[in-house]
Amino acid sequence: MSDLQFVGKRIQRKDGPAKVTGRAMYTGDLNLPGMLVGKILRSPYPHAQILNIDISRAAQVAGVKAIITAHDTLGIKHGFVETPRYPADQFPLAMDRVRFVGEEVAAVAATDPHTAEEALSLIQVDYAPLPAVFDPLEAMRPDAPEIHPSHPKVREPFQNIAGKTETSWGDVEKAFAESDLVIENRFESHLRTHGYLEPQVSVASFEPGGKLNVWTSSQGPFIKRAKLARTLGIPFSTVRVQKAYVGGAFGGKIDLFSHEYCAALLSMKTSRPVKICASREEIFAAYRHGQPLLVELKTGVKKDGTLLAQQFRVINNPGAYRGSGVVVIFLAWGFATLPYRLPNLKYEGYAVYTNNPVRAPQRGHGAPQMRFAVESQLDMIAEELGLDPIEIRLKNARRSGERLPNGDNVHNCGLTECISQSATHTEFLEKHKANRSAASANERYRRGIGMGVSAYFGGSLIYPNSSSVIIKMNDDGSLTMLTGAIDIGQGAETILSQIVAEELKVPVDEIQVIAADTETTPVDIGAWISGGAYVSGNATREAATQVRTKLLQIAANELEANPDDLVLEEKTVYVMGSPDRRLTYQELVSASVRKNRGDPITGEGHWRTMKDEPMHPSLATTKGRWSENYAFDAQIAEVEVDTETGVVRLIRAVTAHDCGFPINPMLVEGQVDGQVSMALGHAFMEEVLMEEGRTLNPNWLDYHMPCMHNIAQSEHIDVITESYEVGRPYRTKEVGEGLVSAILAAIANAVYNAIGVRLYSTPFTPEKILRALGKIK
Amino acid sequence: MKTLIELSVNGEKYELGIEPQLTLLEVLRDHLGLTGTKEGCGTGECGSCTVLADGKPILSCLALAADCEGVPITTIEGLAQGDSLTTVQQAFLDTGAVQCGFCTPGMVLSAAALLEEFPSPTDPQIKKAFEGNLCRCTGYNKIMEAIRQAACNCGQQNVQEKDK
Repeated sequence: MSDLQFVGKRIQRKDGPAKVTGRAMYTGDLNLPGMLVGKILRSPYPHAQILNIDISRAAQVAGVKAIITAHDTLGIKHGFVETPRYPADQFPLAMDRVRFVGEEVAAVAATDPHTAEEALSLIQVDYAPLPAVFDPLEAMRPDAPEIHPSHPKVREPFQNIAGKTETSWGDVEKAFAESDLVIENRFESHLRTHGYLEPQVSVASFEPGGKLNVWTSSQGPFIKRAKLARTLGIPFSTVRVQKAYVGGAFGGKIDLFSHEYCAALLSMKTSRPVKICASREEIFAAYRHGQPLLVELKTGVKKDGTLLAQQFRVINNPGAYRGSGVVVIFLAWGFATLPYRLPNLKYEGYAVYTNNPVRAPQRGHGAPQMRFAVESQLDMIAEELGLDPIEIRLKNARRSGERLPNGDNVHNCGLTECISQSATHTEFLEKHKANRSAASANERYRRGIGMGVSAYFGGSLIYPNSSSVIIKMNDDGSLTMLTGAIDIGQGAETILSQIVAEELKVPVDEIQVIAADTETTPVDIGAWISGGAYVSGNATREAATQVRTKLLQIAANELEANPDDLVLEEKTVYVMGSPDRRLTYQELVSASVRKNRGDPITGEGHWRTMKDEPMHPSLATTKGRWSENYAFDAQIAEVEVDTETGVVRLIRAVTAHDCGFPINPMLVEGQVDGQVSMALGHAFMEEVLMEEGRTLNPNWLDYHMPCMHNIAQSEHIDVITESYEVGRPYRTKEVGEGLVSAILAAIANAVYNAIGVRLYSTPFTPEKILRALGKIK
Repeated sequence: MKTLIELSVNGEKYELGIEPQLTLLEVLRDHLGLTGTKEGCGTGECGSCTVLADGKPILSCLALAADCEGVPITTIEGLAQGDSLTTVQQAFLDTGAVQCGFCTPGMVLSAAALLEEFPSPTDPQIKKAFEGNLCRCTGYNKIMEAIRQAACNCGQQNVQEKDK
């Protein structure tokens, strides 16, 4: 491991120079000749029949080139999930009914934005409003307005059930009866948005020959191609989705969005390029946010803190269409049960349609909500039993080699090290004890410390399931890598280049990357399933291995040596012990072309997680394998509570994480810090406020994201459990989204430690704190 | 009704016939092709559109282009000379202060203006200078580190220049 030159190193991002100089082209920066501007007309009602749409006046506006409504579409639905159990349920343009404020009804392409706006204002839509429902518990009632028919396989007499996940193991009733302590609580989370700085934007350019070129701010071009081709009713081969830089996504840019579909269809209608860029207000008011969960949690433990049983009932509000709502109730099961051994479980989760905008994955995808519940309650249990927060976590924490009930194995698991090292680093127990005894004191400012624990999967089987990579050697001995992976800021292109560099001893700078283009690059799993470093990384390593094998073969022939005696060094191959017997990569490429009938040396690599598993686990029953590597972490928050104002400050955040092997520690740190900051926003600052389906704060003045004043002191402890060896598969883990979770719970536990107030819902507002302290009513 | 204006951007003079309601951001991006200046919100909340007007950071989405006549404007494209990056740009790369990069042009320009005014800024001065620049990726930690490093390196550069 010590001889690693490129992986495990703090190497600068490959796209850095383009980004600091303003040369990096994002989708919105594209300007094509003759390009039109597209705008979307949205429903003002949360629930209504569309009686008639009259576009005649709008069509007469000079400069309007096309107007589309549902009648111009094929009426093909799409969904984040499209399975036999959960078929697609949303039209790209509303057909005869709208189900949320902001639902897309029509779109216009015009020569400039003002003309497009004017045309939108002249489209006459006649609606007949219908009764609407916004709260999931109300929407479940048998007498609630029906948004969609309840899922046919759900037996209970609930209305509006989009989907249900149900699973169990052991016997919870028996275990509760045998428990020394049984505790039952309800935890609630709130609505937050992703906050990507780059707006949602697409450019579509249809060539008269039948080719549809699309640039769109996304988390993976292949899923966009699939969904665009399907809804437009055209072959995959006619749709090309290409790379532009992506200005942040955080889960919010995975699904097919109506603006992408409309830009494409408008371009097909006009044979001109069309750009549609959502305004920030549209993004806040009509696009997809995260998913608050209602979590009812009953836990039984032995006196010594050993978990015996947990029973969960989780209610999710995915809005007017399924979106990823039925994925969250599946994932919530996993995030609830990954970190600790749990012999008995009963879990049921419901996704309930409401007349709210559709919801999407959001960094952590259910984990922050679930860890907040489990970790808060674990601290309550510890206190009740006279245990400390560290020992109860260590007692239950999973250890290396443990099998999960679904058949997965945690392999090398650094959870106990994460817990112990972060506790030691912060002098957790000493502070925890001192704060508790001071909690009743009369000082205005009180300190608290708290811990949370979390785990996250690293890649699963959802379309496109796998990654492939091609590496081409060039005549001068340099390399070009073709990868479908998209860099959304996480550094995909950089870490994949580091892997190639390591395997082939070529400087990272000399590796050209062609990325994220459905036409020229092979398929990639996408930047939303936390499998980039593992799945795309191993595909890259395999491709590089093939190149190395070819280089060694040709070098062995040319140097009349055994391939096993050859060494790669700085774009050359030499014979071990005889460094003068050496050929450059340039010479080897030339030799290969001459002697191997024109082969300039290319390599290809492929990787799929859980190679023997036929498909993803069941969203309904959780049966089937989920992932083959799990990351673990413990996070500690130190807070200061102002008991006069109720304001809580996060003064220190410590993250101890087992991400396997960090390919680039500098990028890993960036992920950790960004997640701590996002969790800080989650805990204290951010909430999308809605009333009857309308967004009350659709801008960054009224929706408060952390700014430089809210910087958190973020410290990192790497618990490295995996290694990287040249020429061998490696098992690295997730680091890009799991770390928004435990820190949220840690903050709640730290607030309790400071002032003795247990928080059952996010965000942790001054109002809640003061009310709990009895200072306001 | 279009008006004729003369803008000075990155040391170049441009004569433009524009509608008077156009913002500086629109003119930079749509008329001059300077797309390094980004629009994150269009309402002055995120700082992605920051440019320098006479060396001071302004929000180009809130400034009318016509009001910028006679004021030298610097955009992100005006900082680096060819391949040679400024100290601030280099510090952003060295410290890992760039992720998605959408806020980066505004951040780099805010940093350049800050260090011009305060070559060795205190942390409160840094926070004050950047309070209008949102970043969702980094949590600001590495941006803070980049500015401290750039301040340190700018200082060294000044000393070296004095020695010459």
